[in-house]
Amino acid sequence: MKGILLKDLYIAKSNILVTVVSLVVLGFGLSFLLEISALLVLAPVASTTAVFISITSDAGSKWNKNVITMPISKSQIIGEKFIFYILLAVLGMITALVPCIILAFFGVNITLHSLCLYGSIGISATLLAGGISLPCAYLFDPEKSQIVFMMSFMASTGIIVGLVLITNLFISVKNNILLTFHIVFVISIIWFFISYRIATKVYQKRDIT
Amino acid sequence: MHSAMTISGLSKTYKDFVLDSVSFTVPSGSIVGLIGENGAGKSTTINAALGLIQKEAGHVSILGNEELNGDTKEQIGVVFDGSNYPEILSPKKINRVMKNIYHSWDEQIYFRLLKQFSLPFDKQIKKFSKGMKMKLAISVAFSHNSKLLILDEATSGLDPIIRDDILDMLLDFVQDEEHSILVSSHITSDLEKIADYIVFIHGGKVVFSKPKDELVEQYGIIKCGAAQFDALDKSDIIVYRKMDYEWQILISNREEMQKKYPKAMIIPTTIDEIMLLYVKGEN
Repeated sequence: MKGILLKDLYIAKSNILVTVVSLVVLGFGLSFLLEISALLVLAPVASTTAVFISITSDAGSKWNKNVITMPISKSQIIGEKFIFYILLAVLGMITALVPCIILAFFGVNITLHSLCLYGSIGISATLLAGGISLPCAYLFDPEKSQIVFMMSFMASTGIIVGLVLITNLFISVKNNILLTFHIVFVISIIWFFISYRIATKVYQKRDIT
Repeated sequence: MHSAMTISGLSKTYKDFVLDSVSFTVPSGSIVGLIGENGAGKSTTINAALGLIQKEAGHVSILGNEELNGDTKEQIGVVFDGSNYPEILSPKKINRVMKNIYHSWDEQIYFRLLKQFSLPFDKQIKKFSKGMKMKLAISVAFSHNSKLLILDEATSGLDPIIRDDILDMLLDFVQDEEHSILVSSHITSDLEKIADYIVFIHGGKVVFSKPKDELVEQYGIIKCGAAQFDALDKSDIIVYRKMDYEWQILISNREEMQKKYPKAMIIPTTIDEIMLLYVKGEN
């Protein structure tokens, strides 16, 4: 699996660098307009786009066909994409924390509460979107899966709103906002894992030509 | 004789094509040429044998294993038409990737082959010509101590000089009796040079699987007119084709037929002509 992860890092290297630099610049720029920790919502979502660049490249070069003949199982191939997605989300998160820490050092008011809240929302949105778009990348052709990829972020926002509204039926979201988004975070992790299992099953039965 | 690969009763159905119970063997230390026109089922057979597509029926045994696990795949080198490597990578980066995929990856062999083929180490694959891409794919297939090479139309679209270099490499590879090659191609002249056995697929079925020498040395074509054709014993005819001014009849034993029909003009045949007669002829 290390080999195919390395291959994806080579493919997405320039995209990752652009995303990292953009997030840092955006972080400092936004600090004058709104709460800097809000960048944690955007950062993991933005950084995972590199996964879809690698999926498109795989399809374009017919790497998918080649890699099946190598000593790597289909579940490892799928697992690597999900791991790559999580790695990029974490990298985005760390990148967004850099301007937060620097600005906090210069006296900007950044609370742990806001970091946890926006961090939970960002990671939840990323995992929910990935849980929709990653299996679809192996179900549909590259063009359709790119549309699904773009729509998945809208869908994840809708799912989060839905989950918050449902939670509000049992506990007051206004008074327990951090707890609510931690519940959403746990659900998104479960969703992402289920999505991995579904993608693996779909790919096992799929003809690769 | 051990077999490096055994395919028996392999079947797969598509809307417009059926691979119908394909069976043949690749003996160890030999080169087997899989021939047939475009769409005959060569790639479908290879894809099903390699687990790229789900087979509906049949068994595939590769290097003695029915299950195509990581250990077996480690010993198989596969080359498709085209490089099938991400175009953004360079041969040097492919080395680093493959080093982490194949336990038996030998970078010394890999870089030696790159040098032998005059391939630049740091140039992106997207800047390579088709011939260079094929040479790169072949270098990868040769660099992890493969025992079985499977080439699917790998020499199609290459110029004769590059094809000749590759054919020489394949012949060198099978000098070791543990090494075997299955090569599919519709360039039958290449297979005539290197193959030990020929498997001919037509319409998703194996028409014949025979030693190449038997085909080249014993098969022949009788060229005759209508009267002579009518006089022939029909059991001697494999297939025939009516041309504008003559009949072409494929027979399996030239010498015997020449004795039986002393006045007939019987000429040696090529694999290309055998394939053509099977596809376009009648029986």
